[in-house]
Amino acid sequence: MRSQAKIRAEFFVRCWAGFVLLFIYLPIVCSALAGLSKSRYFIFPVRQFSLEWWKRTVASFEVQTLVQNSLTVALLVTFISVVLAFFGALAFARYDWRGRQLYQKLLLLPIFFPQAVLGLALLLWMNALGITPSWRTAVVAHLVWIVPVVTLVIAIQVYSYDAQLEEAAVDLGAGRLFIFKEITLPLLWPGIWSGALFAFLLSWGNFPLSLYTAGADSTVPKWLYSKMVAGYTPMVPALGTMSTLSAAGFLLLGGAVIAFIRRRREK
Amino acid sequence: MSSSESAVAAKAPLPILQLVDVYKRFNDFNAVSGISLNILDGEFLTVVGPSGSGKTTLLRMLAGMEAPSDGNITLRGELINNVPAKERPTCLVFQSLALFPHKTVGENIEFPLKVKNIPPAQRKARALELLQMLRLPESYYAKNVMKCSGGEKQRVALARAFAYDPDVLLFDEPLSALDYKLKKVLEKELKDLHRQSGKTFVYITHSLEEAMVMSDRIAVMRAGKIVQIGTPETIYANPEDEFVAEFFGEVNKFSVSLNEEWGWFSQDTESSLTLRLPTDWPGSEQATVIVRPEYMRFATSAHEFDNVISGTVFNEYSLGSRIQYQVRCGNKSVLVEIPRTLARNAAPDEQVMIGWNAADAFVAEA
Repeated sequence: MRSQAKIRAEFFVRCWAGFVLLFIYLPIVCSALAGLSKSRYFIFPVRQFSLEWWKRTVASFEVQTLVQNSLTVALLVTFISVVLAFFGALAFARYDWRGRQLYQKLLLLPIFFPQAVLGLALLLWMNALGITPSWRTAVVAHLVWIVPVVTLVIAIQVYSYDAQLEEAAVDLGAGRLFIFKEITLPLLWPGIWSGALFAFLLSWGNFPLSLYTAGADSTVPKWLYSKMVAGYTPMVPALGTMSTLSAAGFLLLGGAVIAFIRRRREK
Repeated sequence: MSSSESAVAAKAPLPILQLVDVYKRFNDFNAVSGISLNILDGEFLTVVGPSGSGKTTLLRMLAGMEAPSDGNITLRGELINNVPAKERPTCLVFQSLALFPHKTVGENIEFPLKVKNIPPAQRKARALELLQMLRLPESYYAKNVMKCSGGEKQRVALARAFAYDPDVLLFDEPLSALDYKLKKVLEKELKDLHRQSGKTFVYITHSLEEAMVMSDRIAVMRAGKIVQIGTPETIYANPEDEFVAEFFGEVNKFSVSLNEEWGWFSQDTESSLTLRLPTDWPGSEQATVIVRPEYMRFATSAHEFDNVISGTVFNEYSLGSRIQYQVRCGNKSVLVEIPRTLARNAAPDEQVMIGWNAADAFVAEA
């Protein structure tokens, strides 16, 4: 009786999980299929498959520029936000100071602020300052939104970090820099790494902030949007699919690095 | 107290650390309030006290992790109040041990050597030596430190401290998290290690047993002050006051006032027994007479001991090698502790006589 109920429960759990996955992945699969269609227009079901639009996408100079822009922005954002967030996370998770609670709350606020409004506000602000928007300003805009996220990610790691280890290291004669290199950084490294992954992916996929603040420079999401509004070609789903796949590859690689380090450490 | 201190001082006359009227304030709270203490070179000094008595703060000031708010700490005659932990020849073994979880046993031990830029080969040789000294197998050198058992971690932390080669080792209750059996083993090993190394050990604990087993001297702390300092024997046999007496094991207390007849006194409140006075009566009229349960015996006649009182057996507790009886004498409850070999098959509510000699009791001023 009982085991039968269990089997039934398991069946429903599997069905539910399958349904959720289908729900999430169906649109992605459809757009991937759209990119593999030979026809210029998106007709479903796809009549004839071809890699032609993929080839054209890869060969397109325009797309290359886009990817280059997106990559530059994402890498810069990753680097700057990890540095800022690392010290910020140390500041609020490690040390007790007046205003710490307030700092923590203020830091969270931008995450909940609608990005489109934030983007527009930043654009107005740049206008007021007389700065011409370009991919450089997009970096600044991304940072406004991404630094808090990365700070939270790293802070989780910092909370589980025993500050007494540093005290013990000092007691054993070590200086600040030595401790940072030998103790702090290696122990907080998994958090820093996940923070970096988050930063990269959030920047790579960001549309609303780039739309307002990248000016004449286009990024991958911005281009995808503009092409969907006007001038659709199957290069749009093709590039979208590539972008998704490379993000997935990036995540897998990042996960593999963490798994590798963990295994080496546990040996 | 003074006689025992001079006895130890005769063996090792030089104080390595001197504290003169040291205070530590946190906001309005005095964690340590006015401690003067000489720590002798090469001694094993244990500081005991209930939690919150300021013993950890005292230790952290010795390590250089806190600076005293007032008073002076000198090391071999040199003022070190503001010398940071990094530059002191002291090493603290934390309660949590603070082993570096991402390093191997060997890397943990070598840490202080790496700080000093000692070449890897030499570092490894020293680490292996220390592993041997602490009775850990050489194969542990490459072992993940988090995979070690509690006792092994303890030894790794000790090895790391020894690798730093400090003059004074400070211990912040490092054994408190271990099980009883392992604790007993490590207590003895620590004492052996102390003897073998000749270094000064300052150990803090709230466990009386640990203090008694290991120390040359014990300092008892309460509310930021040292109440009494002396050899374990002195403190056990001659506690300064009720607090110290009770801290060092169970006691029977009789609150008494002096009788006109010299040499005798009577218990005032509870059962108005007439008891014989120990010789070190402090002179005041009111006092507490304290008798440890192990000095209480069952008596067969009323004149077998200086003091004999009668009562009924209320309960019996087995303590392993010893047995404790709770005897009701009127409305007073008295503990009698005797070796198991002398156990009596006391039936509950049995009428018994218990007694003790006046010399085995001590008096604390009320």
